[in-house]
Amino acid sequence: MASPVTDRSALEKEAELGAWLRQRGSVLVGYSGGVDSTYLAVVAREALGRHAVLAVLGRSASVPAEQARNAEAIAHANDIPLRQVDTGEVQDPRYAANPVNRCYFCKSVLWDVLVPLAREHGIETVVDGTNADDVGEYRPGAKAARENGVQSPLADVGLTKDEIRLLSRQRGLPTWSQPSAPCLASRIPYGTEVTTERLALVERAEAALRALGITGDLRVRHHGDVARIEMEHALIDYWLEPANASQLVAAVRSAGYRRVTVDLRGFRSGSLNVLEGVVAG
Amino acid sequence: MNESLDQRLRDEGFAYRAEVRDRLVILVPRETADLAREDRLRVTRIALAEGFTHVAVELDPDGAALPRD
Repeated sequence: MASPVTDRSALEKEAELGAWLRQRGSVLVGYSGGVDSTYLAVVAREALGRHAVLAVLGRSASVPAEQARNAEAIAHANDIPLRQVDTGEVQDPRYAANPVNRCYFCKSVLWDVLVPLAREHGIETVVDGTNADDVGEYRPGAKAARENGVQSPLADVGLTKDEIRLLSRQRGLPTWSQPSAPCLASRIPYGTEVTTERLALVERAEAALRALGITGDLRVRHHGDVARIEMEHALIDYWLEPANASQLVAAVRSAGYRRVTVDLRGFRSGSLNVLEGVVAG
Repeated sequence: MNESLDQRLRDEGFAYRAEVRDRLVILVPRETADLAREDRLRVTRIALAEGFTHVAVELDPDGAALPRD
């Protein structure tokens, strides 16, 4: 049984979110099955009813298959109408070139599909799961959302990531403790072409590591023939013990990498942004 | 290769070769990788002091020695 929410501020914001949604009448939710968009879709379903909500999941090589399956299961469990659409951003040469603002091209492709889909369903408002913490970060994808008139109610009512996790837990959503899950292209350094083969390589390597029992935040950063594993700090010493390290090597080589390394600083969100000098280290 | 880092690692008693990729340094052990926690923190501090933002250790030095395909 989840413990009750004691943070009144978060509850007030949730009430504001409900009011925000009811004012719009119906919404299409850009849905990934992650912490934020799941919470948003569930609150929208509750506030507006089943007939007035459509969650849409973009499918492409940059979304791990397991993540998409989980997203589907969560929508089903919460009676949220779900559509899945192929977005195909990897075929866009502007995206595939992997510039620093790659996310802008990805989200442009996504919203170019979802906004007309909303109109087809008679839905005026398209929303995403951007939260209040995201607003000050380097997020070129947010520009594409703005250009397409996509709104961010979680940010508008001031809900932070921690608050969304707290409220999700109260609702019994399995996503409440889920690690952030950015797309697989985030493992490929800027300037290195994003290809379906490289995305599949990263996906296989991370799946192989998960199969070893590694939980929490985990990334396999792609550096050509080198895989650089970022895992939570608390796990590093265990996995550097020679017998355990051998398992990492076997798992990642089975996925297709030749060289296997472990980052000694552990998982860092936006690690490649630091490496490329996009943000300070 | 980074001679300054290589030298500092040698001075501190670490048998690693430093392979530099921009601000990432991959530490390739001359034998097998076996870093106790204190050593991990020490080599990380050394690499950061040399200006690197990312420090990784090669788990199987034989992999680094194989010719690239």
